[in-house]
Amino acid sequence: MSALAPHDIRSDVTLVELVDRVLNTGVVLVGDITLSVADVDLVYVGLRLLLASAGTLDRLANEVPAT
Amino acid sequence: MIGTSTESAHYVYGVVEAPPPSCAGVSFVEAGSLAAITSEVSLDEFGEEPLVRNLNDPTWVETKARTHEDVLQAVAAATDVLPFRFGTICRSEDDVRALLEARREALLSALARVRGRLEVGVKLWVDRARLVEASAVAPQSGRAYLEARRTAQQRKDDADTLCLETAQATFERLLPFAVEGVANRPQPRELTGRSEDMVLNAAFLVEAGDTHLLDELARVPDELGDPFSLEATGPWPPHNFADVPEESA
Repeated sequence: MSALAPHDIRSDVTLVELVDRVLNTGVVLVGDITLSVADVDLVYVGLRLLLASAGTLDRLANEVPAT
Repeated sequence: MIGTSTESAHYVYGVVEAPPPSCAGVSFVEAGSLAAITSEVSLDEFGEEPLVRNLNDPTWVETKARTHEDVLQAVAAATDVLPFRFGTICRSEDDVRALLEARREALLSALARVRGRLEVGVKLWVDRARLVEASAVAPQSGRAYLEARRTAQQRKDDADTLCLETAQATFERLLPFAVEGVANRPQPRELTGRSEDMVLNAAFLVEAGDTHLLDELARVPDELGDPFSLEATGPWPPHNFADVPEESA
C-alpha cells in the first residue's frame, strides 16, 4: 500500500463496509447551522439497510424498535 | 404540485485543508485554512421532511452512501481528508463557512490526527460449526456417547470463548503496527448475509506508505487455523478516526 488507490476498491465496497463507515462513523457536527439528520439514528438506518439487503427486513420489521 | 421546493442546500462530505485540490464533480467552500467538500443538493430530497422519508428507503440510502464514499475516496486520492458522517447539510454556502469557522479549532485538530494517514479495515470471520466440530471427539462407546452429549454445550461455550480470545489476540497483535486502532461491534450474521460469524470488526490508522500492518496481516491467517478467516479492506479515508468533540455549532 504505497498510496490511496480509490478506484481499486470502489467497486468492491460491500454494504457492510459502507454501513460501518459512512453511516456509523465520521465527524458529526450538530447545531443550528446544520439541517443534519441529528434526530435520526443513522446506526438504525444502517441496520435497516443491511436487513433489507439480507432479505430479512420484512421478517424482522416488527422486532426492530424504531428510534 | 404547488409549493414544491426547488431550493437547494449544501451537502458536506468532509473537510480538507485549504487550498483544496481540484476534483471533478464536487465543489469546495473555503473558510480560512479549512475547506469543506460539498455538493449542491435539492431540499426536495434532503430537506428535513423528505430526508426522513428517504432514509426509510434502502435503495436511496445505499445510493447516497456510495456517493458519499466515492467522493471522499476521490478527494482522499489528492489530499488528507477528514470524513464527515452521512447527512450533514447546510442551507447555504455562507452556513458552510460559518460551520467551519465555528468549529475551526476542533476540525483542525481532528485533521491533524489523520494527516498523512489511512484507514485499514480488518474483519475476522469464523466458521463456528466447524470450530465446534473440530473440538469434538468421536464417541467410542455408549458411555462415551453420553459424555459427548453432555459436553456438547461445553464445546459450544469453549468455541465462543475461543472466538472472543482469538478476536482480542488478533486485535492486540495488529495494534502495535498501527498508529491507532478501534474494535467496533461485530455485525451479526443476519446483517452480513454470510454463513460465517464476524468476531472482530476493527479499523486501524496507519501512516500512508507504511506496510508493516499489511505484512503482519499476511502472517496471521496461517497461524489462526482453518475455521478462521481474516479479511482486510482499504485503504479507506479515515472514517473511524474522524471525531470532533460534541458542541453546539
